[in-house]
Amino acid sequence: MTLLHPAAASAAAEDDAAIPLLSVDRLKAYYRLKLFGIDREVRAVDDVTFAIGRNEIYGLAGESSSGKSTLIKTIAGAIRPPLAVETGSVCFNFSDGTRDIYRLTPRELGEIRWKRLSYIMQGSMSVLNPVRRIRHSFTDFALPHVPEKGAAFAERIGRHLERLHLERSVLDAYPHELSGGMRQRVAIALATVCGPEFIIADEPTTALDVIVQKGVLAMLRGIQRELGSSVLFVTHDMAVHANLTDRLGIMYAGRLVEEGRTRDLFRQPLHPYTRHLISSLPQIGDDTPKKGLEGSPPNLAAPLSGCRFHPRCPLAIDICRREAPPMVAVAPGRRVACHVVTASPDAVAPAMEEVRP
Amino acid sequence: MKPNLLDVDNVSKTFAGRGLFSRRMKRAVRNVSFSLDADRPEVFTIIGESGSGKSTLASMILNTARPTGGSIRFEGRDLAHIRSRRDRVAFMSRVQAIFQNPFDAFNPLKPVDRYLYTAAEVFSGCRTKEARETRVDDALHKVGLSLAEVSGRFPHEMSGGQLQRIAIARALVSSPSLIVADEPVSMIDASLRMTVINLFRMLRDDLGVSIIYITHDLATAYYISDRLIIMQTGEVVEAGDARQVLAAPRHPYSIRLREAVLSVDGAWRGTGLDAEAIQPSLR
Ligand SMILES: Nc1ncnc2c1ncn2[C@@H]1O[C@H](COP(=O)(O)OP(=O)(O)OP(=O)(O)O)[C@@H](O)[C@H]1O
Ligand SMILES: Nc1ncnc2c1ncn2[C@@H]1O[C@H](COP(=O)(O)OP(=O)(O)O)[C@@H](O)[C@H]1O
Ligand code: SF4
Ligand SMILES: [Mg+2]
Ligand SMILES: [Mg+2]
Repeated sequence: MTLLHPAAASAAAEDDAAIPLLSVDRLKAYYRLKLFGIDREVRAVDDVTFAIGRNEIYGLAGESSSGKSTLIKTIAGAIRPPLAVETGSVCFNFSDGTRDIYRLTPRELGEIRWKRLSYIMQGSMSVLNPVRRIRHSFTDFALPHVPEKGAAFAERIGRHLERLHLERSVLDAYPHELSGGMRQRVAIALATVCGPEFIIADEPTTALDVIVQKGVLAMLRGIQRELGSSVLFVTHDMAVHANLTDRLGIMYAGRLVEEGRTRDLFRQPLHPYTRHLISSLPQIGDDTPKKGLEGSPPNLAAPLSGCRFHPRCPLAIDICRREAPPMVAVAPGRRVACHVVTASPDAVAPAMEEVRP
Repeated sequence: MKPNLLDVDNVSKTFAGRGLFSRRMKRAVRNVSFSLDADRPEVFTIIGESGSGKSTLASMILNTARPTGGSIRFEGRDLAHIRSRRDRVAFMSRVQAIFQNPFDAFNPLKPVDRYLYTAAEVFSGCRTKEARETRVDDALHKVGLSLAEVSGRFPHEMSGGQLQRIAIARALVSSPSLIVADEPVSMIDASLRMTVINLFRMLRDDLGVSIIYITHDLATAYYISDRLIIMQTGEVVEAGDARQVLAAPRHPYSIRLREAVLSVDGAWRGTGLDAEAIQPSLR
């Protein structure tokens, strides 16, 4: 038995390689609420376009409530009212064919879940049923998707758990009997046991101490490299992004505002929000005062005209109040949505040179 | 002499094992002692392993769990003697909690603003609706939210970070002298994290509130803490001045902890996630 995907393993994947594994195109997803009889929509994902290649770890960071978890839910096809997709598409180019997530029947969606696409949710324990032993979670989610049955299935699960440094006996435990680190590894084991091509993880290590976190991340990366899968990883921990991800997207107020290779983005953040985010990081041994962003976070139920960052932006000019800046490529693999940055590519280009090794 | 704000005196907590998986007794907290001075408000930080007893210790300080050994005194009074409803309300208005996982801390069937109104009524004696609203709105503004955004919304309609900020606002509605914050910033973005951490500093410096800050984030711990303890399997393995301990840890576990911290600069030197080099704790 091999966990390697044919697509990742063979050269036959060559013509596939140009097509990203995930393409998100002009996606808008809103929560439609009725509050005291008044209709209201929360524009949690508002026109997001991006793509993730094979064998790539794509990180997503950004302000709290900027729409990261919503974006992830819409990509995973986990859309329940009041959340509704307004426009746009989410396409996966799996090794056995392309799938437009919003054209799938619930049954078809069920068939790709866990097998091709797995999702580790924020506040992740939700995937583990509190009143059932861990074993049952594996039989519920994984059994339908792997060829092995009976003892062979148990063997596959057991070996997979051991790879994550978990004893097989955790299968007999209830979720509350495990430590946070163990539960988190169980959640990762569940998400990876069927060898999915695409793994989505929403803050999967937030509750862990730094030693366990480092172990869990290393294991996640090890498994990702082995499977050749792609990962979409959300966390607020920027040091985790720096150490784990290949590329990074930054969200603010329902939009992607900047994207680039992780290293470039840290070395030379372009969007004013990204610049602020990176400069606010404290470090052991650094005694300079750090400040959070001034002003109120944007209200997604009543989005501002123009650039949504303008009331808090130190660089804002007139046009920022009127026109929303489009996401523009300013260098290979580098996109940013900011009038000021894109108006002076000269100022940007040399800076980018510096960054390239 | 004025009593200490808080005395944690040789405190232990043992859970009886249940189920097939854990038949043994679980000593979650073992002989922990420390005191907070009433005249010197401080940020007292607890870091340590996942499962090392930090949250258990927090719940004993909040008097929601009883120690099985030792005692805890708040302003000189043993928490075991706080029994009547009146005493409990008085205690809770002085000692507030911010919990680890905001998704668990809120009842999914209750709009989140109800918690804030209840706190305003019970703990700060706001009689009128207007007084309550002002109080609640004030507290929400301190964490970058407003009543308008929060009114009538249920926990599942909020993002993780929004919920955590509401939990912090709730703690600020009464005027506590001690806040026990169990991983209050792990779910919020780096910028807002600094807003909250600076808010803790303001509470300490301007309002004289002491804060017990439980965290995995050693960088913010370094930034804000006065003193710090490091816990492993229920025990304090190292204690002292926060900056000194973090700059030069002595206990082997503290050293491992310090070395496991991922940093942005470290990533470019390739010191990050070296899959082979990692032996995760098996607990
Ligand atoms: N079920 C829901 N009903 C209504 N509004 C919702 C719902 N879930 C989320 N929202 C709103 O959508 C916006 C985006 O939330 P989302 O959870 O995607 O943010 P996030 O970027 O993941 O934040 P965090 O980093 O704090 O987890 C927020 O304003 C939130 O209040
Ligand atoms: N109600 C409980 N019953 C049994 N064991 C518990 C209970 N609460 C916590 N524990 C155990 O006590 C230990 C300490 O847990 P906790 O205080 O939550 O650790 P931390 O907050 O440091 O991660 C863990 O091993 C945990 O499994
Ligand atoms: S478009 Fe204008 S307001 Fe928006 S980030 Fe750029 S400079 Fe600031
Ligand atoms: Mg989220
Ligand atoms: Mg805890």
